[in-house]
Amino acid sequence: MQRKPIEIKISTVVAIAVILHDAKLPVLETALQQLTANSSDYYSEECAVIDVSHIDCTDMHWDALIQLFKAHGFHPVAIRNAPEECEEQITALGLSIDLGSKTAQFADTTAETAAIPAIPAAVEIIAPAPAAPATTPVPMIIDTPVRGGQRIYARGTDLIITAVVNAGAEVIADGNIHIYAPLRGRALAGASGNTAARIFTMSLEAELISIAGIYRTFENGYPALSAGAPIQIKLNGDKIDVISIQSHT
Amino acid sequence: MARIIVITSGKGGVGKTTSSASFATGLALRGHKTAVIDFDVGLRNLDLIMGCERRVVYDLINVVSGEATLRQALIKDKHCENLFILPASQTRDKDALTEEGVERVLNELIQMDFEFIICDSPAGIEHGAIMALTFADEAIIVTNPEVSSVRDSDRILGIIQAKSRRALNGGEPVKEHLLVTRYSPKRVDAGEMLSYTDVQEILRIPLIGIIPESEEVLSASNQGNPAIHIKDSPVSQAYVDVVGRFLGEDLPLRFTDYEKPGFLKRIFGGK
Repeated sequence: MQRKPIEIKISTVVAIAVILHDAKLPVLETALQQLTANSSDYYSEECAVIDVSHIDCTDMHWDALIQLFKAHGFHPVAIRNAPEECEEQITALGLSIDLGSKTAQFADTTAETAAIPAIPAAVEIIAPAPAAPATTPVPMIIDTPVRGGQRIYARGTDLIITAVVNAGAEVIADGNIHIYAPLRGRALAGASGNTAARIFTMSLEAELISIAGIYRTFENGYPALSAGAPIQIKLNGDKIDVISIQSHT
Repeated sequence: MARIIVITSGKGGVGKTTSSASFATGLALRGHKTAVIDFDVGLRNLDLIMGCERRVVYDLINVVSGEATLRQALIKDKHCENLFILPASQTRDKDALTEEGVERVLNELIQMDFEFIICDSPAGIEHGAIMALTFADEAIIVTNPEVSSVRDSDRILGIIQAKSRRALNGGEPVKEHLLVTRYSPKRVDAGEMLSYTDVQEILRIPLIGIIPESEEVLSASNQGNPAIHIKDSPVSQAYVDVVGRFLGEDLPLRFTDYEKPGFLKRIFGGK
């Protein structure tokens, strides 16, 4: 059978999301230098989507911004949530415009869920019907071992795995990750910026864990936790907490 | 119904070809018509271990590319009536191994009433290895009790899950079996080697057998004699057990415990 010269397929590309909280280039530059410890290959040409929804872009020099990230080893491919009037300028520089509506939606839900505990304590806790999105996304469920070299991405939802995640495997979710077996590979929850995402596993033997882009490796061993208890991993500010789940009896 | 079994591992030098030769021989000795195919194009070894290298005229690539018929290329084993070897090519490029060609060869073998077709995979995860596993109904994963071998076996299991016909067609998945080779109970006991339970804990597939480490394997291979033919050896007995388990027999594991030298030996044995 003759192969067609070009095949077109839908494909998901993993990129890092860079969320800017300051529009001033010198400030960003200093921050980048600190982040990458001045080694230009720290990010090894990883695709990056730069999210500008939190900053004022009126005086932004897009070219300079992109060059700045390139100089630090990023490979910017798109600007997320750019103001309409800048779109032409950005596309002229060869980048695409990303609307990132999903992320925005996620951020909103997080904010509201986080606000719930602040409601004055009612005597009886009636499930306070969190302002969930109208349609709850169906989690992705995997029943077979995830093996070295395999990568699974649950886009926009939770990932539930009932088998082992072995060394060299990578499991990624925009929501939470539940693993009902040992986690030996890499797990990245809240991949598009959901800081409330968590990772749950029966045994932590991971190479790397990450929540909303903040990651932690275990070169010097795993935290000492009660043996045999399941583990949850969550974000606490800029730090990743690894704690065992104790049943409250 | 014919069954196609791939013998694979990811890592090289763990005993794939030794196991392919002995497993295929074992099935043939039990009366099953068996073919064993060497997929390691460019580095043929199976014919050496089977002791038929001087009888190779045509090979797998000749058949795939239509230069010879399957009947011309199949070599009858010198020990067993029911065993045939299809050698790999030493001179041809491995790209000549096309998926359509391999499928045609396998279908032709099935039409010739072969009951078992053993595909001896090359090391690595490249084209030859993928071709060997593509049409498999079952896979025997050969693993040495050490971390890098286990890691590579895990990787190849993932590739079987992703690239085999059974996986792509969404039917019953490829049935996986773990074969631990070069196992030394003494070194496991001393904590220098992973135990078979450690290996199983990582790979999580059913164990079909454990082949003990033995110097006899090397000399048998050099003589072109599959290890299963070695007289009164734990290795040949272990391979006979593997074949038995594969055919559905319930056999206990052997050669897995290290017996420490006894009390008297420790006192009088000296250093």
